[in-house]
Amino acid sequence: MLKKFDPNIVAFLCNWCSYAGADLTGTSHFHYPENLRAVRVMCTGRINPLFAVAAFRQGADGVLISGCHPGECHYMQGNYLARRKITLFRNLMEFVGISPERLRMSWVSASEGKKFADVVKEVTNKIKELGPLSAFEE
Amino acid sequence: MDNQRFRDEAKRILSEGNVRCLIGYSKDAAGFRVSPLFARTEGDVERLLFSPLCNISLVNYLTLEKGALLESGARAEEEKIAIVARGCDSRALCQILAEKGISRERLIVLGVPCPGVIDLSRIEARFQGRRECAEVTEEGGAYLVRLGNDSYAVPKEELLAEHCKRCSFPNPLVYDVLLGEPVAQRKPSYEDVMAVEAMTLEEKEKFWKEIFGRCLRCYACRNACPLCYCDECVLERLSPQWIQRSVNGGDNLSFHLARAYHLAGRCAGCGECERVCPVNLPLMLLNRKMEKDMQALFGHTAGTDVEQKPVFSTFDRKDPEDFIL
Repeated sequence: MLKKFDPNIVAFLCNWCSYAGADLTGTSHFHYPENLRAVRVMCTGRINPLFAVAAFRQGADGVLISGCHPGECHYMQGNYLARRKITLFRNLMEFVGISPERLRMSWVSASEGKKFADVVKEVTNKIKELGPLSAFEE
Repeated sequence: MDNQRFRDEAKRILSEGNVRCLIGYSKDAAGFRVSPLFARTEGDVERLLFSPLCNISLVNYLTLEKGALLESGARAEEEKIAIVARGCDSRALCQILAEKGISRERLIVLGVPCPGVIDLSRIEARFQGRRECAEVTEEGGAYLVRLGNDSYAVPKEELLAEHCKRCSFPNPLVYDVLLGEPVAQRKPSYEDVMAVEAMTLEEKEKFWKEIFGRCLRCYACRNACPLCYCDECVLERLSPQWIQRSVNGGDNLSFHLARAYHLAGRCAGCGECERVCPVNLPLMLLNRKMEKDMQALFGHTAGTDVEQKPVFSTFDRKDPEDFIL
């Protein structure tokens, strides 16, 4: 029997909203798929799309970037800047033949533990559908 | 292009003093190549010229010259550098000025309206085996090529460089002296980009795998690019090493994603990356895709305004976000 595809998903979570949101998911005992590896960053504005490239190259099948809702950034505008960068990078990914669905973004606030669990479920299901990422193989 | 007027203007600029050098073109090399000229005296200026063979960008020399060692007694802040700029070069200059990479006061720009330049590989293929020092002029939609005692007329479209065929900025945007009459601009077209966009994901992956698989990772594209002027390049960083140095499918793809993305909203369309690539990768295809999307998504065109803020350090609350969960 074929081994079931178990995707690796790297999540970059902002310190002020989504990381706290993920924490709340845990303390509230909401269940979400265990494919996620969380990396805490201070702000989504700090995220360079090279982070995603490095993750993909090192075996991630999907990357999730999550931060504060628009207008609620701890640093006023970091999430707006991130949104621009990721929008364009997803277009570039699609242009070279990688499904843009592998790089997702979400707004999750510190009080949205349930939403975080839903987002992770949604992303994981999508990556399972897409299968392993082959473009970055040697 | 009146080369005599060009030289007179260059002499005037050099004689005004406080100009470290004038960066231009000369025909010192054999065959169809031109070489960069760093004119410091009036004698040097005699070799200065502009012709359809001038297919190299000089902007990169400017950022290299900026860091060059000073002659004794000279003070960097006060010295100026003069440079010959075609339409695309001036667009690159405009972008560097907008990014505050060099100060406008230190720059003297001799703008040249450029009707397009010759692709070296095309003209070398057309005149195979000819080693004489060539002279080329443009007359009524054709190039007049003089080789020794022979002279040939070749239709312009046959030799014109690929990126010049789609150039929508042939006239300099930033200049102190404009040499020659403005030329008609071509209609921007993204047919080549749209052809790739129309493919399915699998087709695209196959298409690019073949292309990136040929890459030698020589980084000539980066070295020749007028907009790649960071003191420390991410490709050379070891800690953290975002992009591994090995030459294989995955790392080549990572490199090309990073290269294209770093030029997003900055590429001036001069085609230097494609010109210097030893394995002829269609790198402008990636750059132009970014240019097209920047215009469509954020209404941003690189190198058109020296006051323009870098596209990734600004935002609009109404930026698209339909993909965000």
